[in-house]
Amino acid sequence: METEIAENDFIQRYDLYGCIQCGKCTGGCPVSLKSPLNIRRLVNEATLLDPSEAAQGKADLIGDCTTCETGTLRCPNGVKPSEVVIGIRGVLIEQGEMPQTVQEALESAFTKGNPFGRAKNKRAEWAADLDVKNIADGDKADMLYYVCCEASYDPRAQDVAKSIVNVLKTAGVDFGILGNSEVCCGSEMRRLGEEGLFEELAENNMAQFNDLGIKHIVTTSPHCFNALKNEYADANFEVQHYTQLVSNLIDSDRLKFTKSVDKRVTYHDPCFLGKQNKVFDEPRNILRSIPGIEFVEFDRSHEKSLCCEGGGGRMWVDSESDANGRQSEVRVRDAAEMGVDIIAVACPFCMLTLEDAVKAEELEEKIQILDISELVNQAL
Amino acid sequence: MVDIIVCVKRVPDTSEAEVIIKDDKRAIKDADLTFDINEWDNYAIEEAILKKEALGGKVTVIGVGGEEVNEVLRRCLAKGADEAIRLTDPAFDGSDGYAIAKILSAAIKDLQYDFVFTGAQAGDDSYGVTGQMLAEILGIPHATMVTKVDINNGTARIRRELEGGLEEVDEINKPAVFCIQTGLNEPRYVSIMGIRKVSKKEIPVKAAADIGISADEVGEVGSMVKLEEFSIPPAGELAEMIEGTPDEAAGKLAAILKEKGAF
Amino acid sequence: MAEIFVLAEHRQGVIRDVTFEMLGEGKKVAEALGADLTAVLLGSGVQDFAEKLKDWANKVIFVDDPKLENFNAEAYQKVLSSLISERKPVLTMIGNTSFGLDLAPALAVELKMPIATDCIGIEVDGGKVKVIRNIYSGKINARMSFRDDATQYMVTVRASAFPAPESAPGLGGAVESVASPLTEEIDYKKFIAYEEAAVGEVDITAADILVSVGRGIGDVENIPLAEELAKVLGGVVACSRPVVDKKWLPKPRQVGTSGKTVKPKLYLALGISGAFQHLAGMQASDLIVAVNKDPKAPIFSVANYGIVGDIMKVMPVLKDKITELKG
Repeated sequence: METEIAENDFIQRYDLYGCIQCGKCTGGCPVSLKSPLNIRRLVNEATLLDPSEAAQGKADLIGDCTTCETGTLRCPNGVKPSEVVIGIRGVLIEQGEMPQTVQEALESAFTKGNPFGRAKNKRAEWAADLDVKNIADGDKADMLYYVCCEASYDPRAQDVAKSIVNVLKTAGVDFGILGNSEVCCGSEMRRLGEEGLFEELAENNMAQFNDLGIKHIVTTSPHCFNALKNEYADANFEVQHYTQLVSNLIDSDRLKFTKSVDKRVTYHDPCFLGKQNKVFDEPRNILRSIPGIEFVEFDRSHEKSLCCEGGGGRMWVDSESDANGRQSEVRVRDAAEMGVDIIAVACPFCMLTLEDAVKAEELEEKIQILDISELVNQAL
Repeated sequence: MVDIIVCVKRVPDTSEAEVIIKDDKRAIKDADLTFDINEWDNYAIEEAILKKEALGGKVTVIGVGGEEVNEVLRRCLAKGADEAIRLTDPAFDGSDGYAIAKILSAAIKDLQYDFVFTGAQAGDDSYGVTGQMLAEILGIPHATMVTKVDINNGTARIRRELEGGLEEVDEINKPAVFCIQTGLNEPRYVSIMGIRKVSKKEIPVKAAADIGISADEVGEVGSMVKLEEFSIPPAGELAEMIEGTPDEAAGKLAAILKEKGAF
Repeated sequence: MAEIFVLAEHRQGVIRDVTFEMLGEGKKVAEALGADLTAVLLGSGVQDFAEKLKDWANKVIFVDDPKLENFNAEAYQKVLSSLISERKPVLTMIGNTSFGLDLAPALAVELKMPIATDCIGIEVDGGKVKVIRNIYSGKINARMSFRDDATQYMVTVRASAFPAPESAPGLGGAVESVASPLTEEIDYKKFIAYEEAAVGEVDITAADILVSVGRGIGDVENIPLAEELAKVLGGVVACSRPVVDKKWLPKPRQVGTSGKTVKPKLYLALGISGAFQHLAGMQASDLIVAVNKDPKAPIFSVANYGIVGDIMKVMPVLKDKITELKG
């Protein structure tokens, strides 16, 4: 079983000899301010110890990481600390040590194609009245709109999917969805540590994309976008986040605004769009193009944007560190101080965490969380 | 040491899904449904593996159906079952619980076992008879709705769930069949890596002739009951629905509860 | 004259409701088949029960044997198989209960008599018995008939599927004692004891207001949300079976056939889809309010008010609004 030993060797797999223990990762890690999870020490242990020893006793703590990749961005030697976190989670999963909520999410993604335990044949219910092409049913379209599990099933995120559909239709984009045949991209499953499940989902998705001849995909979620773009092997399609497409549509005059949105708006960079994929300008271009919007930046923006803690599997993990406050709450407090009316988001996870934070901070009267696509819709 | 045979079924998940009847009214449309191991069977396989881990012995898992049943059997192997057997024959199609019990008994009668575990019922057709009938055909005792199993030498002390929060404690000698109720353990997760590790393991397939059962004993002809047709249950008088966003609906509901004197 | 058997179910000195539900429905089926209705009673010292049942049936036959004191499917099967072989009832009705399910399927196999379990409807069509079974999570009704060559049938009847008549129809049947065919104790399967699931600190059957949570609560960490809501309402938290299976709440909090039957003034069903086992335990509540994501969830057919939505969103707001209205 030589291959297995190599697979389990963190040093080789994550090139850990590059780590000089400088601590820049922990220094920038937003979670380290609230959780005892110390990413530098974790990488050190992963280097010195056998993977199962490194994982020992970490079942609770390891869930705190949001895999925002701030540490990866700051590492001077190209080490990826968040990948070490994922590796340790993988060891724990093989040992059966995971919260029940995580187990259910993984099982549901495996059997039902979404991590929420929802019925596959209700996935496209949100689009029932929208007259959208269904490529899996044989409709032909230039582009696949890949909706995402969150936007398919969560009522608030469904609004985002609906508004993206309306924006694309208004601009005359020829697109379709996969309807009930859409399957989870696996991004969150991978970050929960279930690499095998991610590979399985990716293979199934690739097979479906190839069968249907899909060459161009646009996504709701930066998480699906990142997975399809960077983690699907042998992808032979172009993938865009919807903000990239919409920004182009505006620049090429295919999308014209007729109304004004007279609000003070800031933008919260999603980690998986900004930090991890350097898509900073397109969302801002859209917001700046909408008549009436007074755009202001967060102090912590672009690469330094504060993670909302919605990703990296955090959706299914209750972190004890939340007793010390949530980063999403810090974010909306900052926004309140800036006097903005709206925090624009471009990710379903950010939408949900920030909306919860607005309620927790009792700022409902002052601040609204809206997806960029919803603001575009208001101005059409 | 304890040798346990576990009978498992692959069923569609209809708990939340829309269920649509086919035009012939004798089946449901399952193309958009997802399938998984029957929930009760998932507790049964877990209990068998826990017993094997504690006492030593062997767990054999048996499923009836086509090649698709392998996905359920493989997950059981990955969880810790030692052997899997698939019983496949076109003649088995249309079997009711009785015919399935006959098929299983034909396969099990020649195997070495102390106990057989089945789920107490299946989430699709809900007959809830297979284990008891299997026991009767094998000529051994059984217990249904089992919520606890303690095995000590050749005897099992078990608990059965009764109505109203009451339980019954029984002692049963081996060999016996236990029909397992949900909730008696916490079924483990099996990773895709775990499933891949057992992907090479051969799952023997046995047809009617291999287990010595004739075609007229199984399928629709060998069944006790016959399906005439499916229908959608008549909707009862529906609740008055409170519309609006979660905030609005909760507000309206609070007002209704106040008006009704709930607080 | 042809006969229909209804097996009386009793436990710890009480005849169970399903017995009267079956006798009520059995009378109708007997009339349709032109048969007599016979109540069959097994036990030890059950003559009083026999007297009680005689106004419910054309005949009561009872087998009194100390070996039948506590339910043992093996012993019951021996006695019933002997009775049925001798008297050849056209239909035998047994409760689809923990008792009936332990007994009926094996008995049917022994007698080579076709059985349909968990029936919610029994029809007579051209002299043949047909049944309605409710399957696929309650979303489909299946009409089923029995094997063509069958002349005798067995059914198990879902508890609460038929209403028990308010009072006995006064049939005044003869009571007949039949000698027990049991010669020795069953030694390979022994009844040891009844045990009440541990009694918790809270008695949900005594509460006026129940905030009952189902699978939709999602996680044990969310239980406190329900507790907070219960607190402002002055009620207690109950739950459906999956919540107990997952060990999020203890068994004494479970509502339903395998848990407690409750009749509070207000039953708030949160994230409970409404499997029949649950509905049977709470549908007599005065006021039922259901919140569920699935607009087609069966819970809405017993609720007075319903909200289609995510309980995690509705619960906290509801708590706040109630606190507000309380002033």
